[in-house]
Formats: sequence, C-alpha cells, structure tokens
Amino acid sequence: MAENAIVVCTWSAGRDGLPEGAEEILHIGRNLAGALGKDLNWLILGPLPQTASALAGNYGVAHLQHVEDAKLDPAGSDACVEAIAAYWAEHDPGTLIVHQTGEARVVAPRLAGRLGKAVVMNGISIEAVGNNYQVTASAYGGDTRVIYEVGGGSILSFIANAAVPEPGSGEAVAPESLTLDLSGVEERVKVVERASFDGPRLDDAEIIVSGGRGLGSADNYKLIEELAAALGGLAGASRPIVDDGWVDSSHQVGLTGRITRPNLYVAVGISGASQHMAGCSAAGTIVAINRDPDAAIFQYARYGIQGDALEILPELVRAAGAR
Amino acid sequence: MKIIVCVKEVMDPDAVNNYAVAGRLEIGADGKSLTQTAIPKLMNGYDEQAIEAALRLRDAGVDFTLTVISAGNEPDKMLKHAAALGAQEIIAINIDPGELDHHSVATLLAAQIETSGGADLILCGRQASDDDQGVVPALVAESLGMPVVTVARAVELEGEKLRVTRVTADGDEVVEVACPAVVTISNEIGDPRYPTASAKVKARRVKPTVVTPADLNVDESQLHPRVMLTKQFVPEVQGNCEFLQGEPAEVADQLIQRLKADSIL
Repeated sequence: MAENAIVVCTWSAGRDGLPEGAEEILHIGRNLAGALGKDLNWLILGPLPQTASALAGNYGVAHLQHVEDAKLDPAGSDACVEAIAAYWAEHDPGTLIVHQTGEARVVAPRLAGRLGKAVVMNGISIEAVGNNYQVTASAYGGDTRVIYEVGGGSILSFIANAAVPEPGSGEAVAPESLTLDLSGVEERVKVVERASFDGPRLDDAEIIVSGGRGLGSADNYKLIEELAAALGGLAGASRPIVDDGWVDSSHQVGLTGRITRPNLYVAVGISGASQHMAGCSAAGTIVAINRDPDAAIFQYARYGIQGDALEILPELVRAAGAR
Repeated sequence: MKIIVCVKEVMDPDAVNNYAVAGRLEIGADGKSLTQTAIPKLMNGYDEQAIEAALRLRDAGVDFTLTVISAGNEPDKMLKHAAALGAQEIIAINIDPGELDHHSVATLLAAQIETSGGADLILCGRQASDDDQGVVPALVAESLGMPVVTVARAVELEGEKLRVTRVTADGDEVVEVACPAVVTISNEIGDPRYPTASAKVKARRVKPTVVTPADLNVDESQLHPRVMLTKQFVPEVQGNCEFLQGEPAEVADQLIQRLKADSIL
C-alpha cells in the first residue's frame, strides 16, 4: 500500500444508504490524491453502503477500507474517535478528509486533540503546496475567506457545497475488512430522545422558498409554505425567525443551519447576511423579494422584486399554480 | 459545583458584514487581518450565550461558582461584563492571540482549568463568530479527558447528570452525560440578559486574575501553531440582478415566465 494515502472517512450512512456528502469529499480527495500522486483510500466506519464499491470505482479509490463493529452502528463520537485513532496508528494517512456534518464537527477536532494533529473546519477547497496543504475556508459567516496552511497528516472538514461531484467511471472496488479493537469504548454521551424529523430535507431540495423577518410576523410564514408547495419545493427560513421561534430549526438555511444547493432559491424578506448566504449561495438561481432596494440579497440574486412580500407572495402563489 | 465559561473577543460580526456587503472591508498589509478601527471588538455572541446558559442553571436553583476565562491581549472590558453578569471569578490568560492557533488556545485554557482544580461543567460558545472554526471546546475536552456535547439550546442539571437539548439537522435531540463535561451553546438558546446598572458599577472594581503561560507550566513548544492563517479576502458575488417592475400581479407573472423561459420551472 502506498505511503501516506489521502483518506476520506465517512460514517453514519444516510437514508439512501450513502453517508451525507460522501461524493463531495470523494471528489475533493480524488483531485488531491491525483495532484500528489498518492493513493486515495476510503475508510467507512459502520455498515457498508450497498453502493460503496461502485462509487469507490467512480472516484478512483485504491482501497475501500471497512470497519464493521456493533459500536459503530450507530456510530457515537467516542467510537468514531477511537476507531480513527486506531486506524491512524496503523495506516498513518497523508491527510484525513471528512464531510462537515454535525457529528464531524465533534469527531474531527476531538481526533485532532487526541492525536495532536492540525484541524481545519469549513473547508471549501484545498491545494497541495510542497509538503503542506493550503485550505481555503469560510470565515465571518461567509463574509470572508481565509487560507490556512497546514502540514501533512492533518484532519480537514469540508462543507457541503465545497465541490460539485464529477464521478468518473471505474471498476467497482472490493471492500477490505479491517478489525479495530473498540472493546473498551463506552459512549459517554447517551441519546435519550432522537431527533424525529423525517420529512423531505432541505439539503436534497431542488426548489426552496425561504422567509425572513421581512415577513413581519410568524403568521405570515404560511405564505412561504404556500409558495413552496405551489412551486413543488420546500420551505426554508433565516436564522432570526428561527431564533424568534416562528419556525423550528430544521428549516434554517445558513452556516449554522442547512447548507443547501437547490436549482431555485427564493429569498423573501431576507436581508442576505453572509451567514445566511453561506447556506444558499451555491443555488443555481436566486430570486430575492425585499422591501429594501439596497438589501445585500439583491447582490446575489438573478431576479429581484422590490416591494411588500405580503402583496407579492399571494400573486406568486396564484401565478405558480397557473403555470 | 464549579462552572467555567471560556470566552473570546471578536470583531463585531455585524459591522464586518456591513463593511463586506458595502465592498469596503479592509484587509491589512499582512494580507490577513481586518484592520478597520471603526469595527468594535466585543465578546463572541455565542460565548455570551454560554454565560447565559450558566445563569439559567443558577435561575433553576443550581448552586455553583462561575469562572469566566479568556486568552488574549486585553480582555478586561469583556471580562468585567462577565463579572457584571454574575461571574465570581474572571481570569485573563495574557498572550498575544495573533500567535496562537486553536490547539494552543485549547492548551492554555485546559492548563488553566487543570491548575485551578478542574471544573464540573465547562461551557463555551458553539464557535467564534470570526473564524467560525468551533474546534476549541472539543480540543479542551479531549485534553481534559471530558466528553463534549455540541450545539445546545438548553442545559439542565439532574443530580450529577446533565440533560442537554441539542440542535441537529433533523430537529432537536436530547442527550444525557455525566459531569464533568464540556457543552457548547448555540444561538437557539435565545438572547442573553443584560447586567443590571448596579452590577455594572460593582464589576468596574473587579480585577481579572492575570496569568501567563509560564504560570501554567506551558512552554513555547506547546504553543507552536499547527494551523497558520496565511491570507484573508472577501469573496466576490455575482451582482447581475434584474429587477422586475410593475404591480404585484404583473411582477409575479413576469417572474414565473422568466423562470420557465430559463428552464428553472
């Protein structure tokens, strides 16, 4: 096995059997490994997704390494950290890449602390410079980008819209089973009530209509839901109205909410604060409706309507229904 | 019991946003620092919410001493705000924050916590609003061998056990963990309270305990940064918005037609 391979690590398979963001980080890993002339390995903790072998082939994975263990199904953060640390001791990755889920936000820095490695979150892109890596990451809620330089053997977390996956076509890769000793792991954090949301997710939506404080009151949010339904999309929200309790946080789009990539994003009464835009700026087309002609959101929008959302939304519901 | 809150001073993110949106955010000659003196510095908002989480435990009748710690140049003003809110002890780890990465900050915070006899609960903001990295709490937890629970909207104490409501992509999750533990607080906890006028006056006389890395037996080599910030810039936005004009019914019809013509609908 080649020395210091680039390792993409995933766990907690998503609903379609594939962990969230797997293709995006495989894409990033493939490009990096290619540039460095290194192997790309994919480490899967917990149940092996059915499509993993085929997908590994499409992204040029050299070794599909799989750890099956009752303690990784579902994977708690203690088991994940222990498993990756044990893997690290044996395989010494050139760098470890993860997709930035809520769990990764715990596992990546804990692992960095455990192993004394560098860690960078909110990654958008990466370049190899000599023996080091330059990671471009989002800062100030998306207002700025920063470039961090780290050495080899770092732990890097990339956000959902960091890459548009471009699968190639390659032969399926047979999984290699690894055994790591997790017998000593006892999860210290116990889940007593699981998150129960299981409707369609903003992350996967092709069309999103989001509302913000410009709607004036919680009651008016139903107009957002009506327009989303008329367009066949989902309803989203900006952070302030989630903070104010108009809608629950599963609707929140932005750096501290969902990072989305729809074809169409309609922002209604949303000013366009960068922390919101971090969750929707990768949309194919952004439409903005806002009373303030100077609102930042119009800088990102393809189409803008300046005016009262409460007058425009019912007309849009009508026009969308009649199309 | 003893609760410690770790806080960081940041440039006001709203002011940074205003300058960035107006295209007037200045990056210093080093290519990485925000240098506008007009942008005020204040306590990271999520850290203020971490103090609020502690105060809500006090409201709920939990008896504890509250210590607020910061590593940085001149955190006095921020720490006095913490004292006015009800911190019994404020501690400044005196060091130039420009020379630190997250590992070195975590090393200093963990050393301070350990030297002062540990803590039953360490609260932090979910991330700092400047770099958004959110890794220091987990690094501190790992260094002290404590579990970490992130992105909490509510923290309750039942005996020795914490019951934490976490915000996740799929809605709220409730977890339990034994003390000592690190918990990070999210904005969903709601607005932090203001100190009373009399508490503010009293806090003016409170002096932070100032410690240096040497006091904590942390040497240079332990503070050597692993992550170097080399550059900062403002990303470009597209800026080709076409405004649709007319009465609400007209603009609505126009928009749907445009989106159909663009094959978006």
